[in-house]
Amino acid sequence: MKRSYIPVALLLAVLMLNIIATQYMVHQYFYQNYTNTIIAAVVNVILFPVAFLIYKKGVMVND
Amino acid sequence: MSDKNNKIPFNEDNYTHNINRNNERKLDRRGFMKTLVGAAGVFAVSSLPWGVLAAKELGGLGDKKYPKQKIADLNSVAVGDAVDFHFPGEHDSAILIRLSEKKFVAYQNACTHLRCPVFWQKDEGDLLCPCHHGKFDVETGAPTAGPPRRPLPEIHVKVENGVVYAVGVKRYEA
Repeated sequence: MKRSYIPVALLLAVLMLNIIATQYMVHQYFYQNYTNTIIAAVVNVILFPVAFLIYKKGVMVND
Repeated sequence: MSDKNNKIPFNEDNYTHNINRNNERKLDRRGFMKTLVGAAGVFAVSSLPWGVLAAKELGGLGDKKYPKQKIADLNSVAVGDAVDFHFPGEHDSAILIRLSEKKFVAYQNACTHLRCPVFWQKDEGDLLCPCHHGKFDVETGAPTAGPPRRPLPEIHVKVENGVVYAVGVKRYEA
């Protein structure tokens, strides 16, 4: 069984982006820039299927 | 990990120690990735209400709508004069002040201390609550002296065809 840790690293990067987008979203809401809030929320939502695809690829290829 | 809890203690028919829990709780690569995906899902779900609230603000659904109401004719208010009116309800007394040819400001004139009426002091150029000598800035409604700590609620004013209308109340911001 050859395993790759690239998907793990990618998922960690996705999680970091999640944290950044969430922080940005909350702050932009506070500063009443609602368009930016929505953009950050959409980014957060899109990151979930991205993470899922990375997981799928990482599992199917190597295990 | 030690095998302390994974040994069969004595040699006889083994009914109690027949569960092999070797590595049962080990977090392997796949499990770790699952956790990360789950965390991404939590982030995604938790950002939904923020998006909804922001969209609500953008769509103006948070603002209350009041029918616009005539306050006075443009010609009947000289520069520096004030007119009392009621907006948005008939018991919400308010005051309109003409600061210049084009600039009007209006506030609900219940003092934010104990709701005494606030009067326009033309000579001194500020709004005075005579009960406890609270004063408000006429440009912004912010308290400048005396006991009140919160600004007077501002009323949005529009001038159309020589008539001054009250169109809305500014949202309260702490």
